[in-house]
Amino acid sequence: MTHFTDEELKAKVRDGYIVESVEEMTEGYRKALVVQLTVQGDTELMSAPAYWMAARHAPSTNTQVSAHAIIQDELAHANIAYRLLEDLGESKEHLVYGREPAEFKHPYGFDQPLENWAELVVANGFFDRAGITLLSDVFKHTSYGPLKRALVKVDMEETFHLRHGEVWMKRLAKAGGEARELLQRAVDWMFPMTVEWFGLPDSMKRHSGQLDYRLKGLTNDQLRQVWMSSTVPLCEELGLDAPAHRDEEKGEYVLDFPFPCRYDDAAKRWLFDEGEISWDEVFARWKARGPMNETYVESVQRSRGVVARWLHGGAAA
Amino acid sequence: MHEHVYDVFARKSRGDPLAHIGYVDALDDETARVYAWKTYDEEHWFEMCVVRRSAIIPVNREDGPFAGGGSEKP
Repeated sequence: MTHFTDEELKAKVRDGYIVESVEEMTEGYRKALVVQLTVQGDTELMSAPAYWMAARHAPSTNTQVSAHAIIQDELAHANIAYRLLEDLGESKEHLVYGREPAEFKHPYGFDQPLENWAELVVANGFFDRAGITLLSDVFKHTSYGPLKRALVKVDMEETFHLRHGEVWMKRLAKAGGEARELLQRAVDWMFPMTVEWFGLPDSMKRHSGQLDYRLKGLTNDQLRQVWMSSTVPLCEELGLDAPAHRDEEKGEYVLDFPFPCRYDDAAKRWLFDEGEISWDEVFARWKARGPMNETYVESVQRSRGVVARWLHGGAAA
Repeated sequence: MHEHVYDVFARKSRGDPLAHIGYVDALDDETARVYAWKTYDEEHWFEMCVVRRSAIIPVNREDGPFAGGGSEKP
């Protein structure tokens, strides 16, 4: 039973109404929420193998512990998002184990290899900060009660990941030499990648159901600004070059590179020289997925069928 | 592998109300206890318990988030 029409529901959530169950949703609301939670769950899930393979580069047992604690958190967050999706009638089994690698909806950043400790900590400092930026906006504004409650834990833990990233970025910057060079190299490819993560600029953004249904509060450009407003000062403080600066007149951060632009994933280098490209080209790159996509998805899915067979004597569940 | 939905309740300190903090999918009660404890480790809980969602009996409404046993297939 649907109690409201789409227009009624949009008006109600604008006035602060909190949706608690699937019965109250319109199909439009449910679909927009499914898309949002799928991206959220896939992002958390795919960060786990990316961080797990990078955790091999941890320089001590203590850093191994903190790197793995972050992985554990990410998997728990993924589980929370998929669990919420089950309550909306989706199948976690299918979402995690039944999809092809290219069908996952995480950002392109988590299709990339993290190949040294500097790259892992910049991922914590940049990617996890993007996660907090997006999810704390959802926490503040979402009209879906179960998601708001679930995000208390998620936000708390993502803040720890970010702190881990920042502390280590500072340490590596201070060390100078090779540590600093690797850090700068990581910033060079990960900064534009995170900027791109926030998606289409508002001037091109098609109508957003997520805003109309109050599933989020800020637009893509506003979220990008929030992310840059803490990331750019951090880089400046550490003496790292980040391709953006604050324009005092405009009162906002502006990018110092053509956006969007091409990326050479083998060289881990943005092709600024080739100038601005269309968003269609970006969407095509995202859709084709990045170099580690299959490896990461395979590492998550690989043992499911095997253990199901052990437990059920040949009848894979 | 058929898993059940378990809701997780906890309180931080003595005197706090028991609050719903999340959920896990688990094969049985024993794994649900382990998953809940390992998953919701963001606080040093004074008390945590899990309840199989299908055991929750709705009192005043049939369309609340805990009604109907979630995605439990009886």
